[in-house]
Amino acid sequence: MSNMNMVQALNSTLDMKMSKDDSIILLGEDIGKDGGVFRVTDGLQAKFGPERVIDTPLVELGIVGMAIGMAVYGMKPVPEIQFQDFIYTAMDQIINQMAKIRYRTGGKITVPLVLRTPYGGGIRGGLYHSQSGESYFVHTAGLTVVTPSNPYDARGLLSASLELGDPVIFLEPKRLYRAQKMEVPDNDYKVEIGKANLVHQGDSVTIVTYGSMVPTVASAVEKNGVDADVLDLRTLSPVDIDAISASVKKTGRVVIVHEAPRTLGMGAELSAMISERMIEYLYAPILRVTGPDTPFPYRLEEYYLPNEKRIMAAVNRVLEFR
Amino acid sequence: MTEIVNEQMEKEKHIRGLGAMILSRTLDKKIITAQRQGRVGFYTPTMGQEAAQVGLSMALDKDDLIYEYYRDVPMMLHRGVPIEIILNQVFGNRDDLAKGRQMPSHLVARDYNFMSVPSPVATNLPLAVGTAYAKVYRKEKGIVVASFGDGSTSTPDFHAAMNMAAVFNLPILFFCENNGWAISTPVEKQTKTEIWKKADAYGMVGMKADGNNLVEMYKTAQQAVEHVRSGKGPVLLEARCYRMGPHSTSDDPTKYQTDIVLDGSEKDPIVVSQNALKAIGLVNDQLIEKVRAESQRIVNEKFDQQEKIPPPDPETIFQDVYAKETWILREEREEIL
Ligand SMILES: Cc1ncc(C[n+]2csc(CCOP(=O)(O)OP(=O)(O)O)c2C)c(N)n1
Ligand SMILES: [Mg+2]
Repeated sequence: MSNMNMVQALNSTLDMKMSKDDSIILLGEDIGKDGGVFRVTDGLQAKFGPERVIDTPLVELGIVGMAIGMAVYGMKPVPEIQFQDFIYTAMDQIINQMAKIRYRTGGKITVPLVLRTPYGGGIRGGLYHSQSGESYFVHTAGLTVVTPSNPYDARGLLSASLELGDPVIFLEPKRLYRAQKMEVPDNDYKVEIGKANLVHQGDSVTIVTYGSMVPTVASAVEKNGVDADVLDLRTLSPVDIDAISASVKKTGRVVIVHEAPRTLGMGAELSAMISERMIEYLYAPILRVTGPDTPFPYRLEEYYLPNEKRIMAAVNRVLEFR
Repeated sequence: MTEIVNEQMEKEKHIRGLGAMILSRTLDKKIITAQRQGRVGFYTPTMGQEAAQVGLSMALDKDDLIYEYYRDVPMMLHRGVPIEIILNQVFGNRDDLAKGRQMPSHLVARDYNFMSVPSPVATNLPLAVGTAYAKVYRKEKGIVVASFGDGSTSTPDFHAAMNMAAVFNLPILFFCENNGWAISTPVEKQTKTEIWKKADAYGMVGMKADGNNLVEMYKTAQQAVEHVRSGKGPVLLEARCYRMGPHSTSDDPTKYQTDIVLDGSEKDPIVVSQNALKAIGLVNDQLIEKVRAESQRIVNEKFDQQEKIPPPDPETIFQDVYAKETWILREEREEIL
C-alpha cells in the first residue's frame, strides 16, 4: 500500500506496466524531460529512456496517428494529449482510423492503445483548458471511454485499459489530479472496464455521475443526509447498465450529474436508456444537472460547474415529485 | 527638406519603438509578480520577444490586420492598444472586452485590428488566409499578419495556411516568433529545417531576422512587408528571439532549460536595442531612465486602478453564444442564476 494522489497513481501504474511489458511506449508533448505539464509521466523518460518516452513535435494529429501505427504493429502505445481541448485536430485519426480499424479489417488488425488526456474545468482554464468532450468519443463506435474519479480507480482502470486490446480514451479529470490522497495497493490489480462503482448507498434516489463530479455529488449527499445510491460510472462506454438498472428499479428516482454541457451529453443517453427499459419503475422525471450549453468561462467558472446547491435542488425536486 | 522630415520621423519611430518595448517589459514584470501574489490567475510572459514584435509593428500601417498570438502584448502596446484593455483582460473583469471569458494573455482588440487568440496554437493561420482573400476581393488596402511560435509550425494548420496563401498569392505575412522553445521542447527537436526555409517548399519568400535588435528587425520587417504589400505574394518571416521567462506562470523551466537569458543581461533584446540606438545617437541613458520611470509610474497606477474593477455579471456567461439567446440557454440561465 502507498498513500498517493491521482497523478502519482497514474505515474506509478505506467512505471509498473512499462517495467513488465516493453511494448508499452509513451508519446506526447513535453512528457519526457518536463514529465508532462501535469507531471503524470515525471521521471519515466529518465528511467526508460527517450526511445520509450518520446517528446514529440507539437502536432496532435501526428501523435495519435503515430500511436495507431505502432498499435497495429503489435506495440501498446500510450499517447498523451496535453489538454483534451487540443485533441480536435486528431479527431480524424481517432474517428476514422483508431475506432474503425478492427471493423474494416474483419478483426484482423486491432488497435490496442490508451490515449490519456486531462479534461474538465475547475482550474481556471477558460474556454480552451476546461472542456469536457466525452460525448464526442462515446458517440463513436469502436472507442472505449474511461474516466477515474480517485487514485485507486485511476490505477486499476489504467492497468485494465492497457490489457483491453482495443483503443481506450482515458479521460483524466484534471481537477482531481491532486485533490485527494488515498491508500492504493502496489500490486497490479484491475478495475474492470464497464463496471460502475456504488460510492454511496440509499433507497430513495439514484444519482448517476462520473469523473470530477463524483466528490461533489458524494459530499452533497453526505452533508444533506440524502438517502441516495450514488453511482460512479467509471466507464462511459460501454456503461454499466446492470448497475444502473439494479439501482433505478430500487429507487424509481434518478438524477444525472455531469460537468459537460447538457445537450447530447452523457445524461441524454443515460436518460434515454433508463426510460426505454425502466419507465414502469419511475416515480418522477429523470433530471440532469450539467454544465450549461455555453463555452467554458474563465473568471466565472464557479457558476458553470454543477455545485451542491444545484444538485440538491434537482434531488429535492425528484424526491418531492408525486 | 522631405529627406530631413523623413529622417526625423524615422528617429522618432525608433524612440517610440524602444518606449513600447520598455513599457511592455515593465508590465510583464508587474503581472508576473502579481501572479505570484495571487492577484492574477495566469500569464504567459512576453519578455525576450519585444524587439521582434515592435520591429515588425514599426513596419506596419494602421490598416493592416493582425491575427496575434498569446505573447503579442508588446506589439499591441506599440500599435496603441491602451494598457487598460490588456489589464482588464488579465483580470477578466467587468470591463474586459471578452467579458472575462478567456484566460489571461488571450487578448482581443478589434478596434485596433487585433483579431483575438484561441489557445490551440496556429488555428488562426487558416483564418488569415480567408481574411486576406476577403481583403483582396474587396480591393481593400492593408495586409494580414499572422503571428505564431516556432512550435506552432508543426501543426497541420500551419501547413494548410502556408500552402493556400501561396496558391492564392495572398497578402499575408506569416510572422514566426522563434524563441527557441515550445514549452520544454527545443526548436531543434521541433523541426529539422530552419523555419524561414520552409517557405521555399510552399513557393513563397522566406526571410530570417535578428529579433533581438530593434534596428535590424525593423529593416528586415520593412522588406518583408514591402514584398507582401506590393502584391508579390505571402512571406514567411522568422524572427529569432528569446523566451526570457517561463512558458507560462504554471511552468518551471529549470526542469529542462539551462540557458535562460536574464533581464538586463547583454543578450536581453532591450539591452541590445538600446545599445544599437545609442550607437547611432538616437537615445542616451538619460532618456532611457526617463522612459523607464514613466513606464513604471503608468504600469503601477493602471494596475491598481484596473484591479479594483469587479468581475463580470454572471448573466454574461449566457451571452454571445448565439446572436439571440435560445430557449435552452434561457432555461439554463434561470436554473443556474
Ligand atoms: C494545438 C495545441 N497543442 C498544445 C497546446 C499546448 N501548448 C500551449 S503553448 C505550447 C507551445 C507553443 O510553442 P510555440 O509555438 O513555440 O510558442 P511559444 O509558447 O514558444 O511562444 C503548447 C504545446 C496548444 N496550446 N495547442
Ligand atoms: Mg516558441
